[in-house]
Amino acid sequence: MAEITAALDEGGANTLLADAIATIGTQTKSGSGSLGPFIANYTVQGTLTSGTVDLIPPDTIRIANLRLDWQLDFDFGIDLSTILPDFCLPQVCVDIPCVGTVCTPKICVDWPTITVPVSFGDFVKVTVDTKLDIALSGGKWRVQAVVLGVPNLQFGATTALLLAAIGAAVTPVLLAVPFIGPFLAIAVDAILATIAIAGVTGFLGPIITPFVSGLKFLIYEQPQQFEVLPADGPVDPKVDITIDTVDCVVAHNGTEDELVLTADISP
Amino acid sequence: MSLTESQAVFASVHENALNDVLTAFCTDRPRYLVYGSPAFVPATTIAETGMAAIAFPGIAGGIQWRVRLSIPRIDLFKQTMTLPPELALGPGQFSVRLGAEICLDCGRIRIDPKPPRGHDTKPDDREPNRPLPGTPKPDDRHPLREVTCCKLEVFAIGHIEHVLTSSGEDAITLVPDAVEIVDIKPDEVESVLECLLFMILQAVLGQIRLPLKSLRAGAFSLTLTEGPLIEDDQVKVRGAF
Repeated sequence: MAEITAALDEGGANTLLADAIATIGTQTKSGSGSLGPFIANYTVQGTLTSGTVDLIPPDTIRIANLRLDWQLDFDFGIDLSTILPDFCLPQVCVDIPCVGTVCTPKICVDWPTITVPVSFGDFVKVTVDTKLDIALSGGKWRVQAVVLGVPNLQFGATTALLLAAIGAAVTPVLLAVPFIGPFLAIAVDAILATIAIAGVTGFLGPIITPFVSGLKFLIYEQPQQFEVLPADGPVDPKVDITIDTVDCVVAHNGTEDELVLTADISP
Repeated sequence: MSLTESQAVFASVHENALNDVLTAFCTDRPRYLVYGSPAFVPATTIAETGMAAIAFPGIAGGIQWRVRLSIPRIDLFKQTMTLPPELALGPGQFSVRLGAEICLDCGRIRIDPKPPRGHDTKPDDREPNRPLPGTPKPDDRHPLREVTCCKLEVFAIGHIEHVLTSSGEDAITLVPDAVEIVDIKPDEVESVLECLLFMILQAVLGQIRLPLKSLRAGAFSLTLTEGPLIEDDQVKVRGAF
């Protein structure tokens, strides 16, 4: 029999996980990704806000409807070379009496990449299974629920509007290009229209997934040298015990599933 | 039946862990087990608690004494530790076993031959304090000073109570209900010693307040609503998260 036993029902586990989620706070990541033929450098912020805990014996904590609110700020780069054919003025040679043949150089236009800043935010919901990870590290006992695998993200309905947001940001920029601007705008809008929601989720998936995949929710953390009582004056020093072992499981007791933490101690 | 029952959080500490915490307390703060008057304990330190001597007329400085207790060993219901037949461990109770050493600095008092203070003193030719016929020779008398000790094995049963620590934390303390010292005759002497140790144990154990947080190794926060209860060799508590 374990020397110390502490148990939490599912209601308590919900509160515990809500607190653990809140302590994670806002996370930020940067990188680059592909949206169809376009490249975007991005900075994304994600904040976890909710979820419902289901305790599944012997060691799984399922968090359903874990919501991640994300805000994506990215520079959407349009390489005009992918839209416009290379344009070159050919070499022209003229025979000039007494001078000889004079040729102009071949001139090619190198189409630039146009960068447009876009901001967009939405939320994603995900259901994740976590396993209990128990470790003694740096003199501290820690029990964490660790998200396993890559979850399947359920993007919110407004995520499809990302393409419209890009189009709205890009169109006025392209329209300002002399002579060919309107044609460029039409071309880019046509390309965006072909990307569709699958392309959007293909773009967002690798950006958003790291906010959830491998996530750890802290369930228990205490120093191995556990302070029973603090020092209370010069003749009453602090009192410590040693936590020798810690274990944590999900147990089905009676009609309830409970998160059960056990520990053995020594003076 | 679930551990939490109708509450969100459950915590229990087995008697072995309770004894570990008690041992840690008594090892880190040994003064809670040793008490004595100035001849034995000149000042309170981590190791000992200094107390006043027992004042008594005619004994200069009072009666010097010391009580030294061993680390108590607790057994929570159900009973696993053997008890004297006079004690029976019931549901919700604990038993405790410990050693107690009581010492007195037993000294011979020199009687002052002069009249007590405040009385007139007239010179005369009498010789007070001259040994009377039949008085023991000095060698046969009680030594001038001699530390006299007895060691007792003490058993008690009691219950636990919910108290607060000096920092306001929820805690438990052990409250003795009955004390038994075996094999002392006559019975009246045994009763007197049991009464003395009953009072001492109440005071000593009442000062040892073990925070509930430590009894669940810091796991999960708990607002106490049920307990502490003694069952199945454990102290159990339940509450809201």
